[in-house]
Amino acid sequence: MKRTNWVVASVVFGLTAWSVAAVAGEKVDEVKLGSVMSMSGGAANQGTQTKTGAIIAAEEINAKGGIPALGGAKIRLIFGDSQSKPDVGASETERIIQRENVPLMFGAYQSAVTTVTTEVAERYKTPWLVTGSVADIITQRGFKYTFRPNNKAVYDANEQLQAIKTLAQETGKGPKSIGVLVEGSDWGKSHAANLRKLAKDINYEIVFDEAYSPGTMDFSAQILKIKSKKPDAMIIAMYTPDHIVFTKQIYEGRLDIPFGIHSVGAGSEDPNFYKAVPPQAVEYMFVQEDFQIDITEVAPWTQAVDKKFREMLGYELTCYGAQGYSAIYTIYDVLQRAGSLDKEKIREAFVKTNITSGPALIMGWQKIAFDKDGQNVDAHGVISQNLRGKRTTVWPVTNRPKGIKPVWPVPAWKDR
Amino acid sequence: MDAVILGVAVVNGIVLGGLYGAIAIGLSLIFGVMRVINFAHGSFLMIGLFVPYWLWQLFKVNPYVSVLIAAPALFMLGYAVQAVLIAPLYRRERAMVLEPVSVLMLTAGVGLIMDNLTFMAFGPDFRGITLDFASKAFRFGDYLNINYTRLLAFQVSLGLTALLSLFLARTDLGRAIRSTAQNRDAAALCGINVMRIYNVTFGMGCAVLGVVGCLMIPFYPVSPSIGLAFGIRSFITVVLGGIGSIPGCILGGLVLGVVESVAAQFVTATSASIFSFVIFILVLFFRPTGLLGMKV
Repeated sequence: MKRTNWVVASVVFGLTAWSVAAVAGEKVDEVKLGSVMSMSGGAANQGTQTKTGAIIAAEEINAKGGIPALGGAKIRLIFGDSQSKPDVGASETERIIQRENVPLMFGAYQSAVTTVTTEVAERYKTPWLVTGSVADIITQRGFKYTFRPNNKAVYDANEQLQAIKTLAQETGKGPKSIGVLVEGSDWGKSHAANLRKLAKDINYEIVFDEAYSPGTMDFSAQILKIKSKKPDAMIIAMYTPDHIVFTKQIYEGRLDIPFGIHSVGAGSEDPNFYKAVPPQAVEYMFVQEDFQIDITEVAPWTQAVDKKFREMLGYELTCYGAQGYSAIYTIYDVLQRAGSLDKEKIREAFVKTNITSGPALIMGWQKIAFDKDGQNVDAHGVISQNLRGKRTTVWPVTNRPKGIKPVWPVPAWKDR
Repeated sequence: MDAVILGVAVVNGIVLGGLYGAIAIGLSLIFGVMRVINFAHGSFLMIGLFVPYWLWQLFKVNPYVSVLIAAPALFMLGYAVQAVLIAPLYRRERAMVLEPVSVLMLTAGVGLIMDNLTFMAFGPDFRGITLDFASKAFRFGDYLNINYTRLLAFQVSLGLTALLSLFLARTDLGRAIRSTAQNRDAAALCGINVMRIYNVTFGMGCAVLGVVGCLMIPFYPVSPSIGLAFGIRSFITVVLGGIGSIPGCILGGLVLGVVESVAAQFVTATSASIFSFVIFILVLFFRPTGLLGMKV
């Protein structure tokens, strides 16, 4: 009996001390920002890039004296690893919110993961700033605590089709039919659904429309089917490993698509992808970019970020890195206006966000402001084409560097 | 459906299926002899892919030459894992059970450690190599093209299977391995050093992955997490063909490859894998020992 009392007493005392310490420690010298990111598993690559971008931004802010509105509190980033799996992402979110007591969170790159982590965050009334995930549903569920500065999938699909249309108008030559090949999880499927809807509106016929299981070793069955259906242009959505296998196989198989392969982000934005495939294999491929790929030329201040990023990861700043960087500066702006670590006040500050200048716009956006669903309606990407081994912006036309002429239609393999 | 396209699909399926089979050989061999499902199988394949990758990246060694290094290296790795980590558990549990569950858990743990150590060393990047040879292919007509590297992988897979079967059937060591598989205690009574046989078997199972890794690296990217993708498929291949049967492995792989490739012409590729699972269940139902498996 006595023994039990001691145990109870020590537990009670311990918990009290711990929570006092937690409350007391919170506002004094640091702000903990929680994040769940894919740092291992299939999407480890992109998750690590976003993490790196976030670290660069946090270091910059801390070096300049932290967050003034919170008494110069320094940012401390707490990362959980989703292992590229939704269930792990959800439990990590729960752990970080409960144990680490963070006022807000950001992440988690993969749409399938972010869809569930935002659900957990909503339950705990913790604001979540989305990085990278584009699945439409994320900001279509009436959630109050989810905010997405980047494109929805439907924007990506629209940009791809608009670029095709623009190039067709410029040259008088364009595709009539389109093929769609996407990876079979949330992101790929929602992209395909959007393409179906939008293509109908502008009278492109979809003659090939398939999803494949991620981690596929061989695309010969799909390539065979594409050859027999003969689409004029192909739109694909793939993560890095599948994109490498697919690209090598279309190159080997001399798959001719007259109006080009249009890849939406992910795999084709990953520098490792370009290291793993022969340069001839990707020449003329179009890429829907989440940020202006030639940003360091357009906005020279970003060169410092690019340099830091290269030091840390060994390759140039990527859109995922830029997303992490942008997220931290967006959060900085929000915390400055909230002036508190209270989750409700932070949420209100998120709602009133209106960023029109500064480092948060490294993505190439003109504005970050969230609509009632938490979506930034001013988000947009660009379409680039691989020209002489370099991705060059070709759409929107206003963003196209001077003297650049897209190659359209793309030459057949035998003519290259 | 066009007959030409169907024919091409079958050819594609066969070429891929041979490789599926070769990947699964190690799993089958180890299970057949030791009654242990090697959960680290995919991780050993990952190492088998990284060895030729780094040899190419650092010293420009052609992946097909790397076989001479990768296969012995993987053999030694497998031998060491079995001798140092698994054998003590066997000795402790041998009196009690035939299929030690703790060994199963141990291989899963070894797999995790291997994945994470590689992850710490090389990071999460997907890496691949580009050989000029790798982008060449036989082309017949508009549809059929068989990539040289894939064709070579297929041929070597078949050759490897034949060699391994011959080795098991004809040599003393092969006979010792087979007798250990049939009855561990009886083999021990005949003077066979069972633990050494286990070491060799595990080593051989891994050495095959060393060969397969060298065959795959020209067309398949490697990352520390790549092993996961192969675990389940290898297991299906093994059960389909008959556990412990080396030719059965190739047959299982071929069935899987052809079914997936042909089915994908009629339905989407994601649904096509349903068919391989249906066949898997049917085989388990009507021929539980697998297509080429013996009655136990």
